[in-house]
Amino acid sequence: MAKSFKEMLAESGQELEFQSGGKAPDKLTPRENIWESHPRIEKLKEIYMDSLSSTNNEFPYWYTREYFQNDNEIPVIRRAKALKTAFSHLTPLIYPGELMTMRKGSFFRASFPMPWLSEGFYMANESSFYKEALKRGSASVDEHSTMGAGGGNVPKSFGKVMSIAGKFGMRQEEIPVLLELAKKWEGKSVDDLGNKYEQMVPDYDVKEAIMRSVVCMFDSGFTLPQGREVANYYFPLEYGFEGIKKIAREKKNEVAGKADGDGMVGMNRLYNYEAVIIAIEGIQKWINNYAEHALWLANREKDATQKKEYEAMAERLLWIENNQPRTFIEAFQMIETIHLAIVNEDAISGLSPGRIGQVLYPWFEQDMAAGRITEDEVLELLEQDRLIKTSIDCFASVGVVGGVLSGNTFNTTSIGGVNKHGQTAVNALEYLVLKAGGTNAMPQPTLALHYDETMPADFLSLAADVIKTGSGYPAFMNNDVAQEFLINHYGHEGMTVEESRAWSIGGCLETSPCCWKPLHLNGKEYSIPGGAGQPTSVGVHFIAMPKVLELVLFNGVDKRSGIKVFEPHNKKFETYEELVEQFKAYWSKAVDVLALTNNIQHDVWRKINMGIFHSLTKPDCLESGHLINELGYRYNATFNVESAGNVTCINTLAALKKLVYDDKKYTFGEMVDAIENNFGFKTAHEIGKFSLMDQEKKDDATKKYDKMHFDCLNAPKYGNDDLYADEILLDWENWFCAHSETVESLYGEPMYSCQISVSTHGAMGSATLATFDGRLQGTTFADGSLSAYPGTDKNGPVALMNSATIWDHSMSQNSQLNIKIHPSAIQGPEGSKKLLELIKAYMRKGGFHIQFNVVDSKVLKDAQANPQNYRDLMVRVAGFTQYWVEIGKQVQDELIARTEYESV
Amino acid sequence: MEDKIYRNSLNYIPVDVAKGIDRATGASVNADDLDPNYERMQKCMHCKNFTLNKEKIGLGICTMMGKEHLAYPDMVAITCEGYDEK
Ligand code: SF4
Repeated sequence: MAKSFKEMLAESGQELEFQSGGKAPDKLTPRENIWESHPRIEKLKEIYMDSLSSTNNEFPYWYTREYFQNDNEIPVIRRAKALKTAFSHLTPLIYPGELMTMRKGSFFRASFPMPWLSEGFYMANESSFYKEALKRGSASVDEHSTMGAGGGNVPKSFGKVMSIAGKFGMRQEEIPVLLELAKKWEGKSVDDLGNKYEQMVPDYDVKEAIMRSVVCMFDSGFTLPQGREVANYYFPLEYGFEGIKKIAREKKNEVAGKADGDGMVGMNRLYNYEAVIIAIEGIQKWINNYAEHALWLANREKDATQKKEYEAMAERLLWIENNQPRTFIEAFQMIETIHLAIVNEDAISGLSPGRIGQVLYPWFEQDMAAGRITEDEVLELLEQDRLIKTSIDCFASVGVVGGVLSGNTFNTTSIGGVNKHGQTAVNALEYLVLKAGGTNAMPQPTLALHYDETMPADFLSLAADVIKTGSGYPAFMNNDVAQEFLINHYGHEGMTVEESRAWSIGGCLETSPCCWKPLHLNGKEYSIPGGAGQPTSVGVHFIAMPKVLELVLFNGVDKRSGIKVFEPHNKKFETYEELVEQFKAYWSKAVDVLALTNNIQHDVWRKINMGIFHSLTKPDCLESGHLINELGYRYNATFNVESAGNVTCINTLAALKKLVYDDKKYTFGEMVDAIENNFGFKTAHEIGKFSLMDQEKKDDATKKYDKMHFDCLNAPKYGNDDLYADEILLDWENWFCAHSETVESLYGEPMYSCQISVSTHGAMGSATLATFDGRLQGTTFADGSLSAYPGTDKNGPVALMNSATIWDHSMSQNSQLNIKIHPSAIQGPEGSKKLLELIKAYMRKGGFHIQFNVVDSKVLKDAQANPQNYRDLMVRVAGFTQYWVEIGKQVQDELIARTEYESV
Repeated sequence: MEDKIYRNSLNYIPVDVAKGIDRATGASVNADDLDPNYERMQKCMHCKNFTLNKEKIGLGICTMMGKEHLAYPDMVAITCEGYDEK
């Protein structure tokens, strides 16, 4: 029997402790707070818990049918007409007990393919185009991504249900039309057209090699072209849909035939306004279909209460189809509708509602004053909102949905922050938003708390109580750091201090530019925040730092696949500095070629697949007449460069510096040899386990690498307030953040650094050899960008925070630090106090983001062994919370392995 | 022969691709089970404008307004303005 890594450690008297600051109790410890939602929400939640992620062809059928009838039209009109037809034909579906309604499609967890974006990954094998798609690098990541096999995922076909991408179920009867529709888009989709033109980039072969060897996680132009941004519900809330159409008609009259000094796109304003009107008509018909269905249901309903509810629902829908909402529930229904319309218009992950407690406040305040609604009724609606948002799925390939997103779609709601004048923006409605996160603990919306020193103490206490439900939220984000980043990066686009205060988290933890708008209700004016920037899910997606370093070690070749990725450097690396210089050179090359090719993909997207409905909601498209593709948004410098495996790479550099260059204990060649031989271990894929502790020695392994392996494990590590490792981090961050600003997006704007892992630390670790920090081949990287590698943060949370804040977080869009705490460590009011003190200390040091998994690791192990008992167990993965059973094995193993703090 | 199963019936509330709720009883049911309270749901297969493709399973043609379009028999047609029951 092969020895496990854990046994080897024990034998050698070394430790890699996953418990810090004490010992966890032997028995399973449940979460401290367990709250309940309203009975009607519980009932609906039961349906959700038992429902599969389901997809059909209704939307793509009508979209495709209309699109190809208009092949002589101007692209923006052609797309608007296709969208209108598709929305108009969505079959309405209302469940008994719902107060608010509408959904992506006609299932509880509905989504649908968009072959106009990408059709290759689900097309039939016989298609030559499909085979070509598989040859493309972007298919490689699927091999390294795993999808959770439980919950609502459909990992395998069964009965008359076919599994697509290991997640979505589609009726067998629909497969022929799925393929037929996909064939119509062969060579015409954003994916295919983009690929045709990106091949014209001189170093395209480098990009292919990068994707095939999983140096980069995925293309952004055709997978999820929008997202990780903040929605803006203002215009429909202020003017109603008819009001917006009126504005567009007036604007059409103003601009028809005029360039107004803009010879490039000035004339386009006419077509854009026309497209806006067409798209809104589609949304109105969609709402109307729901209203009609509610009336149909009311007519058949025997239960008097339910009948009244259907009638009231129909009345609300018929009103908001045209007008500004009058009441809180109408306004809430309106923003749900807008949100669903936007995520149906394009493949979007990370459309954050933003600060809805502040957006909906005008109706809350007036309804409460008039006695039209109670706090309890508002709480019930907020609980239903969580169900609606958690039910949003996004149809994409397994690599994207499993490997990157873990099935989550990041509809994050923000709370707190400051108002236009810099005072706390917390209001009475926000207490309820926060409370609903505990009474209906579901993965979405994940709550992002914008921390600032003026935040009320009882609001913070409530936040601690919600964390103790084990929800994994709210996450704490530093308001001041975010504002500083926004002013620095978007200053040239007009970002002011006042406007920066409107910011919100887009996606899981992307600082996104927003703005204030004046909302008028019954003669009173309110200032409400909302998104004003383009997607931040775009640009150069997830480059694995440890993988780039690996390519430096092997002279540009990916050892695992044998693919030559970069030109050989042929260097001997006499000094550590020389090695780091080469690392940065390969990094720059990867960023350069990925930026160019992704720019082309997005350029194709903006020419044929531009957002129309989404654009009209974002300032200042309606005013300017230009949509997203013509820089109509107020902030356009949103493209970014994303890194993955930050801490794993820093630890690897630290070990190399220490053992080869400073102590000269091993030669560079000896170290590289050990990596090539995985320190004498089998690979994680061979044994099907992905955490370091579970790795097994090769059956015939000698002890050749053992000493070196232990030395690597004992080399300085990030997270211990040890300058040896932390200064390497500082050097990298200073260089990386500045370098990212030198990269240009297709909109002619500078990029910036984005440092979140989502789930890429699992999939990208899977494709990476062993690293000098002692991590073994195929195992996950450390999560986030500032979380310590499991078991290596031995000096407690304060030391970890000191390490994390060695650099200025406002240079980056974000940073990410997740900490796992045993429930007993923060028990009772005293525990809450300690937890909040810890958070405040981190924020005061300039940390941007911190969040906690309050869970007993033994519970996670039991959940892995007995998933049937844990359908509703939630965990914090990276910047988001997800159901345990819907997460892939790689990330599950990593979550179990994370250091568990037994005291804070 | 018309399949009088839940997923073809107006008495059915779909939950996912495999199951749903019987409106009349509130019970959870399988999509492919026979529906004792079957009420025909509008689908292309029941529309006069629809012709089944004999060669390609699961496909057909819609001839609404004189033009030919790809169609499929299983599509729900509740929102189709051209639906004309056979
Ligand atoms: S008219 Fe509508 S229901 Fe009839 S076949 Fe065509 S698409 Fe189907």
